[in-house]
Amino acid sequence: MSGVIRLVIVVLAINGFFTYIGLFLLPQAESHPPKEVKIEEGITVEELIEIGKNIVFGKGQCMVCHPVKEETGMRAPAISTIGALMEREAKERGIPFEEHVFEALVAPGNYVSEGFANIMPPVHKPPIGLTKEEIVAVAAYLQSNGSKVTITFPESLKILEEVLKKTGG
Amino acid sequence: MGKVYLGVLKGLLKITLILLAGFGVLYLLKNILPPAEDGYRQFPVLGSRVWVWVVAQLHLNFAAFVLGVPIFTVAMEFIGWRKKDERLDRIAHDFAKLFTLAYTLTAVLGAVLMVSLPILYPKFIDYLVKILGPTWWVYIGLMYLEVLFCYLYFYTWGKIGKGTHILLGVLLNVFGTLLLLVPNAWIGFMTTPGGVTETGELVNRWEAINTYMWIPLFLHRLVANVVFGAGLGAAYAAYRFITAKTPEERAYYDWMGYISSLIAIGFLVILPPIGYLLGVEIYAFNEQMGIQLMGGFYAWLWVMQAILIGAILLFVNYYLWVSLNKMPGGERYFKYVKFLFVIVILGYAVWLTPHSVALSLEEARRIGAYHPFLGKLGVMAAKNTAVTISFLATFLSYEIFRLSNKEPTVSWAGIGKALRVIIMVGSSLALIGLGVYSYMVPAVVRVKVLSPIQFGIFFATLIVLYILDTLMYRNAKVIGEPRWGQMPERSQYALIAMMVTFTWLMGLMGYIRSGGRQYWHVYGIMKDTSPDAYLPTHGFACLVISAVTLIFFALIASLFWSVMRYERLGGERA
Repeated sequence: MSGVIRLVIVVLAINGFFTYIGLFLLPQAESHPPKEVKIEEGITVEELIEIGKNIVFGKGQCMVCHPVKEETGMRAPAISTIGALMEREAKERGIPFEEHVFEALVAPGNYVSEGFANIMPPVHKPPIGLTKEEIVAVAAYLQSNGSKVTITFPESLKILEEVLKKTGG
Repeated sequence: MGKVYLGVLKGLLKITLILLAGFGVLYLLKNILPPAEDGYRQFPVLGSRVWVWVVAQLHLNFAAFVLGVPIFTVAMEFIGWRKKDERLDRIAHDFAKLFTLAYTLTAVLGAVLMVSLPILYPKFIDYLVKILGPTWWVYIGLMYLEVLFCYLYFYTWGKIGKGTHILLGVLLNVFGTLLLLVPNAWIGFMTTPGGVTETGELVNRWEAINTYMWIPLFLHRLVANVVFGAGLGAAYAAYRFITAKTPEERAYYDWMGYISSLIAIGFLVILPPIGYLLGVEIYAFNEQMGIQLMGGFYAWLWVMQAILIGAILLFVNYYLWVSLNKMPGGERYFKYVKFLFVIVILGYAVWLTPHSVALSLEEARRIGAYHPFLGKLGVMAAKNTAVTISFLATFLSYEIFRLSNKEPTVSWAGIGKALRVIIMVGSSLALIGLGVYSYMVPAVVRVKVLSPIQFGIFFATLIVLYILDTLMYRNAKVIGEPRWGQMPERSQYALIAMMVTFTWLMGLMGYIRSGGRQYWHVYGIMKDTSPDAYLPTHGFACLVISAVTLIFFALIASLFWSVMRYERLGGERA
């Protein structure tokens, strides 16, 4: 066999080996852009929380930084206890719980939880770009993690709009 | 000099014709094709994304070659001139032939891309031109200057004074480097946009150019181009070695392969810290984008990256170990090869171990999300340690090869050798110790403090060892000269395999970087609403990368053939 043919075989074999790994040894899934979630009046709190949970674990990309449970070296507060943490912070700040939760979502730099850096983007702006309805659902889900849920749809939309107005959002 | 002017004129005319043909086809297609009402047109069969992906990556591969190779070519010519080393001058001339002939292919692929983008993505390109339009004309101007100096450099070889010729080469590199800045500004704007309002209106053009990603990406590409170009030089030398007819030819191309692979790996070593800098800037722009890139959808492709770089190190080490056979006195070091092999393999194993493994539901319930032992090897603390140790072992392989035919004669040689062992063992222990400590600290300390310290120790070790060895082997007794050309053919396949892997790596990292924008043309500013606005499966991405690699190698084979034809015809008639 001539050297050139052996050379071609080496190129094809190495290329084939890497392609095989990519095709058969790596997990295969597509990542599609998120769809807008429609929330209608009359939704129960449980349904609202469920929608919020889906957004937090999907479209909102929250889990990129927030771990589910507390762990060493975490970049952002753990989701499983975030409701209790936010309620405590709202009390310390002397503002309504709902307002604090909404502000943490649309103007997160205004108050950063102790021990963490100011890295969170406002969720109503691109690239995340949640709608007001979606933000209400996320806020309800966050409250449900260790605290009483006081955010409802569509009643809490007014509070969100006030927070947006106040924070220039 | 008449032939010089004719050659340069022909080169410039060729580039102008390619550019004019591109503009002509663009004009025709715009008038023939129906308007793109939703801002997109579909390329038949392949789809627009795959077509642009393949063409852009091929253009980028060739561009990397023609921009990277002149950097070390001119350096070699300069050193050859000052040291009166004719071999270095010859190798530099060979590289000049390669990159000059590669210009035509680069320009043709660039013209195809120039037509494809505005035809298939008119809305997006219109927006990009609105924001960064003037830079396009800067790009064309720099391209002409670069082509002018490239052909001048090539055609004046041996016809003008060496100093003046090297100056032409320096100017070629200055314009090439400036040229590289422009497309990186476009990509920087697409990925980490600045200078525009939230709705995409232009506020400040300079800020739209000078984005977070611009300079780190430029630096990363500049160095990667040298690695890629040198790798291709090594592959060319291997090809010529395999097809050589005389022992002289074999000796020369053996040496060329060694020098080229040395440059490739030497520059590869500095890519991780520049990559780190690029990562820091991406995180500074948008933490979520950084995390998505490093650990989100792409987590498994970073495992693929580890497989590729680990393979490159294995090929290079294998080449160096086989090379010991041609060094008189090299046999004294055979006994150490098995230890180096174990270290490189262990480092490779840790590097490619994923954080989470594909599990059945039953397994996941039993052991949790991460494997109790392997899961710990899949994090940055372990990987940084494995990477630095593997590179350190590769450096040691190189030092052994470099010095294997010499015996130090300085009075302190014994102390020097002991010192070398202490430095090597001490730095390895420090790297491992820092790696273990990294598990116990918050992410911010690990990323911003301990990782730079690990890289710092790694580079300090290389520098100190190199200086120590150079001093210790000054006026050393030479056991015998290297027997260039007396290498088994299999060693050359290692160089070819290294280049295939480099090409794959370029394709993979380009895909990850581009995919970081997810479903945005301009991240957070302009959404991709085409049917291709999703990330494909890893398998599909790997198929495209593989196809690009094979097409690239087919084109490269034609380039090698052109160079050999050029030589056969004596240069002028080719």
